[in-house]
Amino acid sequence: MDKGETLLEHMERQGMSRRTFLKYCASLASLMALPPSAAAAMAEALGKARRPSVIWLPFQECTGCTESITRSHSPSVEGLIFDMISLDYQETLMAAAGFQAEEALQNAMKENYGKYVLIIDGSVSTGMDGAYSCIGGRSNLDSLQEAAKGAAAIIALGTCASFGGIPKANPNPTGAVPVSDIIKDKPIINISGCPPIPVVITGVIAHYLTFGTVPELDKHGRPKAFYGETIHDRCYRRPFYDQGKFAKTFDDEGARNGWCLFELGCKGPITYNACATSKWNDGTSFPIQSGHGCIGCSEPDFWDAGGFYKALSTPANPLKYVAAAAVAGAAAGVAVSFANRARKQKAKSEHETATTSDLEK
Amino acid sequence: MTASLQKGINALKEVIDAPIASFFSSCVHCGLCAEACLFYTETGDPRYTPIHKLEPLKRVYKQEYTLLGRLAKMAGLSKPVTDEELESWSELVYDSCTMCGRCSMVCPVGNDLTYMIRKFREGMAVSGHAPQGIINATKRTVEEGGPMGLKWPAVQNVIKHQQEDSGLYIPVDQAGVDYLVLMSSMEIVNYPEYLGSLAKIFSKAGITWTLSSEAIEATNAGIQIGASDLAREIVSRIVNAAEKLRVKNVLSPECGHAYMAIRWEGPNLMGRPFKFEVVHVLELLDELRSKGVLKMKDKLKTPVTLHDPCQIVRRGGVLNAPETLLKEVVVEFRPMTDSNKWNWCCGGGGGASAIHEPEAEELRFKAFKRKKTQLEETGVNTMVTFCANCRITLEEGIDHYEMNTQLIGLTELLAEHLED
Repeated sequence: MDKGETLLEHMERQGMSRRTFLKYCASLASLMALPPSAAAAMAEALGKARRPSVIWLPFQECTGCTESITRSHSPSVEGLIFDMISLDYQETLMAAAGFQAEEALQNAMKENYGKYVLIIDGSVSTGMDGAYSCIGGRSNLDSLQEAAKGAAAIIALGTCASFGGIPKANPNPTGAVPVSDIIKDKPIINISGCPPIPVVITGVIAHYLTFGTVPELDKHGRPKAFYGETIHDRCYRRPFYDQGKFAKTFDDEGARNGWCLFELGCKGPITYNACATSKWNDGTSFPIQSGHGCIGCSEPDFWDAGGFYKALSTPANPLKYVAAAAVAGAAAGVAVSFANRARKQKAKSEHETATTSDLEK
Repeated sequence: MTASLQKGINALKEVIDAPIASFFSSCVHCGLCAEACLFYTETGDPRYTPIHKLEPLKRVYKQEYTLLGRLAKMAGLSKPVTDEELESWSELVYDSCTMCGRCSMVCPVGNDLTYMIRKFREGMAVSGHAPQGIINATKRTVEEGGPMGLKWPAVQNVIKHQQEDSGLYIPVDQAGVDYLVLMSSMEIVNYPEYLGSLAKIFSKAGITWTLSSEAIEATNAGIQIGASDLAREIVSRIVNAAEKLRVKNVLSPECGHAYMAIRWEGPNLMGRPFKFEVVHVLELLDELRSKGVLKMKDKLKTPVTLHDPCQIVRRGGVLNAPETLLKEVVVEFRPMTDSNKWNWCCGGGGGASAIHEPEAEELRFKAFKRKKTQLEETGVNTMVTFCANCRITLEEGIDHYEMNTQLIGLTELLAEHLED
């Protein structure tokens, strides 16, 4: 794609009509709770926008965030927006590897110093000076500090980058911390979720292109437009909650009737995200619609917040069965280790000190 | 001659420890180690994939120490390791592995493949499947004191000549000094000037030192063949001599595996910490340089490149000293692609250079193509290195391909340009 081409020109070339584009802008504006006039402003700004340089660094992550972005929306207008940014470094997607990749990174940082958008997915390991997670021989901590210097804004993509996520889960062996614990002097937008919703990312980027500013954020640094309300408040099963109709198990009458999953551990009431409205897989569905409670993945420390299947109103008591299982597991482990130790000990006692004549038959 | 399969299998059972168990269980079969091995990259033969070289050891691990493996063995689904199999594996464990450690560096799950090869050799050695060349070197080291069968009178002769040439006194068996200096047979025979150069540097720096008539040989063929009992016997000569003379430090020569043997394997073999420090000669020289003792009178005009010996740099951890020292003494230094800890092996480490069967030599020449390419990319005709074994292997390769490349040892180069 020509670097100078604007988004609108590019879309026209891809066979996208102006009408579709305007519709996209309008839906994005409404999704972000902007006034109707913003749709026009957005269309105008996006239509003229040139590709901003985006550098995407993966740290302690599982690539789920990348999967989410690339897979669910690829032929849609969001996908095209993604074509429209100049994604100068993304290890999973880029063809280059090794020195070429590192060179691309250095070049992108130099050429767009002060202007590029830095996307981070994954938490930053700080244990042992960051040695737990290194790329190209450098710790993530080091790469982050270098890349953040020239960034206009940082998008912490996913719960790991936003709040530490699963790597930070107790006992946090790698000393994982979120991006915001390390970088203090740049605007940081947290797009939490495990993984986050693709349209939220494109929405934030579109906002940045349109207004040149960071959208309004909540106390956890997340864009209010997407994280302003709980899943629970927007859930289509909310009326059942209000009527006191709950599914008690996953295969009872209530579950079949699509009643509220609160008693099966749904974390919707304390989870701020847009799943219930924007949904997943091109608007097909979201976890609660598929019959499973929300696990609260866009909230800090969701992994350590008690069991996924414990109702919010019951106290977390994870030790009841775990203790028994742990004892049984440990006993089996000890037994196996004793058996293996005995074998090795036998081999040791059968060892005859080797002499030079033991080297030949 | 008492080698037997039973002894070999017993040794394998004995060497399998927690690291090996976790390495085998965590291998994800990605095959990245293949690309890191010069025997694979230069031949394209998948048999040379490092993890494949460990297949019999892996089977013993599974059959002896895992539940499924034991069941499979009982049901006859997993065949026991045989003599024939080990014999056919000898090529993979010795000829085509120089224990250069490059595969351990690339493994994404952190498996130390080199460590496992080293342990696997324990079983190969006592089951009689080590190559004859390494067996001979080991025997000579244990029975005669060095892999080349060099005796003390010959060393005395070298000392005498070097005293005459340098005009400096070379002390022997002096107690309480700063450094006990070790050498390798290869250096004594091929590069005796090393001793004179050291005398010159020590006298300039005001460091006291000595040679020991009981322990001059630093190399340890017992480690290369993989017989810890013999390796312990060899290394204990140095440890005993150094502790008897109450020296503060033992100076390892340039030779790569000698450094690894005394510095890293030594204390593990002895099962206790040493009462002295082990220092590599280049570490000492770099320290003297930083103190301003080591000054050059002039520099080598021809552009040079550097071959980093695996056991000193990648496996030994002497990362920066060689390059810093080299830059002191040359006008132009052009590093190779994949240098320092990513350097490619000369092809003769880990005992491979002692194997003289024609197939092994042919394989070594094939592997040398990697070094040849690296060398040609730099566009220079002078290569500096700091390991006598690398030097011999490189010289053989250079002769074989009729290349116009000159080889220089780093310590000698420094000594030659040292301020008088």
